[in-house]
Amino acid sequence: MTTTLNKSEGKVLIKGNYAIANAAVIAGCQCYFGYPITPQSEIGEFMSGKMQELGRAYVSAESELGAINMTIGACSTGVKAMTSSSSCAISLMQEGISYACSDELPVVIVSVMRGGPGLGNIYPSQGDYEQAVIGGGNGDYRIIVLAPGTVQECVDLTYKTFYLAHKYRMPAMLLADGLLGQMMEPCLFGDYPYPEVDNSEWMLTGAKNRHRRVIRSYAPLAEDQCVFLNKLFNKYKVLEENEVMYDEYMVDDADIVVMSFGSMGRNVKSAVKACREKGLKVGAFRPLTLFPFPNRKIEELSHSAKKILVTEINMGQMLRDVRLAVNGRIPVEFLGKPVGSMIDIEDIVKKIESMIEV
Amino acid sequence: MATQVFKVPDIMIDGFKFGFCPGCDHGVAMRLVAECLDELNLQENTICASAIGCSVCIYDYINVDTIEAPHGRAIAEATGVKRAKPDKFVFTYQGDGDFASIGLAESMHAALRGEKISAICINNTNYGMTGGQLGPTTMVGQVTTTSPTGRNLEYYGYPMKIAEQFALCDGVAFSARVSLDTVPNIRKAKAAIKKAFEYQIKGLGFSFVEILSSCPTNWRMTPQKAHDRVRDEMMKVFVPGVYKDILESKQV
Ligand SMILES: Cc1ncc(C[n+]2csc(CCOP(=O)(O)OP(=O)(O)O)c2C)c(N)n1
Repeated sequence: MTTTLNKSEGKVLIKGNYAIANAAVIAGCQCYFGYPITPQSEIGEFMSGKMQELGRAYVSAESELGAINMTIGACSTGVKAMTSSSSCAISLMQEGISYACSDELPVVIVSVMRGGPGLGNIYPSQGDYEQAVIGGGNGDYRIIVLAPGTVQECVDLTYKTFYLAHKYRMPAMLLADGLLGQMMEPCLFGDYPYPEVDNSEWMLTGAKNRHRRVIRSYAPLAEDQCVFLNKLFNKYKVLEENEVMYDEYMVDDADIVVMSFGSMGRNVKSAVKACREKGLKVGAFRPLTLFPFPNRKIEELSHSAKKILVTEINMGQMLRDVRLAVNGRIPVEFLGKPVGSMIDIEDIVKKIESMIEV
Repeated sequence: MATQVFKVPDIMIDGFKFGFCPGCDHGVAMRLVAECLDELNLQENTICASAIGCSVCIYDYINVDTIEAPHGRAIAEATGVKRAKPDKFVFTYQGDGDFASIGLAESMHAALRGEKISAICINNTNYGMTGGQLGPTTMVGQVTTTSPTGRNLEYYGYPMKIAEQFALCDGVAFSARVSLDTVPNIRKAKAAIKKAFEYQIKGLGFSFVEILSSCPTNWRMTPQKAHDRVRDEMMKVFVPGVYKDILESKQV
């Protein structure tokens, strides 16, 4: 792919990874830092040409440790900056993500999942739900996690990831998977649809005509750390009040609601359509924000529906969050597979039918 | 008419008191950094990336915008700052463990890329803050809490000569090692730091100063003995000097 900026009027046919990269450029990302890993290398490849062409910053980092910390450094000056990676290499960024949370910096991370654990393989997977949502860094923290399911959503949610990171002054992750990263779909870029957030109160610029600023995480006094963590978690509460997003399809009268996230939602929707054609009352529900998680909406659904089915390309990760929200009111079943392409529509339909028969 | 011959640098925080162990050279090194920032009029345009170790509290003493990096990542964060804001003066202040062990990849690649930042690295031949364990510069034979019978080659291998190694990186504009054991050497140290800073301002590349420093507490020595050790042992192996200066075209 030649790296021309696809700020198109109409729709273009484009790979998920390029869509994410191009959307980041349109969102005003000034600095990109990255280290290659399949299945997301196209993001760095696109950025290397595009950022130089636009006079913005691109660094081929020596490692993901370097990349995440360069991103932190750039973000400390108030600019929009991002890094991207995948699975075993997102593992290397966990320390930096924890620091970025305690530094309260709007670091944007794109994670395009592959199979794990360890090196795993480069097939699509959703095995890093927990890595993203719970995280592997130390201490009490959350990050914003958005999960696109189409290439168009890759664009829209990349914009949103930058916006929310800056609005709430905290790290935000776009969690895609190898399928989405590699697949081509038509999509529309348009303009960055959000207002610019004013960072002038905290960003590092050199202490000219003001007191100097220190962005730090070292908190020698326990009291200070208590105050800080309470402040952080109040911020998370505000997020849960205001920023939850999800996609729902025919859930209002549904006896069975099928839940999934990311690309898995595509076959779920088709399966639900097939069930409806058979006269079965089935609906689909897909969180777009994995944090903040749509707990309240799932709780509501657990009152209106009789059963919930969770489908993921992993061994059952979002499953746990759904069960927490349902809190035992109705049965929550699971259909998953460890790694590979999406679960077949027929298999989802079969599973739904088996749940109705019982 | 009286002339002022000595004063606390303006850039030092009002009423600061160094919290370092008695006889530790961190205070002298930070003061030299402060004097250079003052003399080059950099206070309003500087962003510091501080490190983890005894150097972490530089922001308690020097009054500039600062981001505190994780252990070993100060150079990466400084790189991010400089790439985002190329017109800012950006420096790090790190221990040798931070710069040359856990952060070696970040440090060396920034040097190879010729990032226009300056790094100050304190070589005290151990991990000071955690209680004096063996680090990348611990000398052969040196007893530390994790080399109880001394650094032997079979178990631990060799120490690293940081200033020499970094002089080999093509992106480096200036690499020097200095000592703080005597007043003349302190003056030389300041001149090296100032040159490193000036080379960044001139956009010449990565600039680096390794500062040999005492660590009396972890060495179990009096301040006087510790400085004798810097002179009699360290300076023989870690020889002070300018290892690269692209304007003088001095290369190893
Ligand atoms: C990732 C990580 N590993 C270990 C530590 C613990 N730690 C804090 S300071 C330090 C050693 C610092 O030594 P050095 O960089 O030489 O600086 P000094 O304290 O001697 O000035 C270590 C190991 C840490 N904070 N983070």
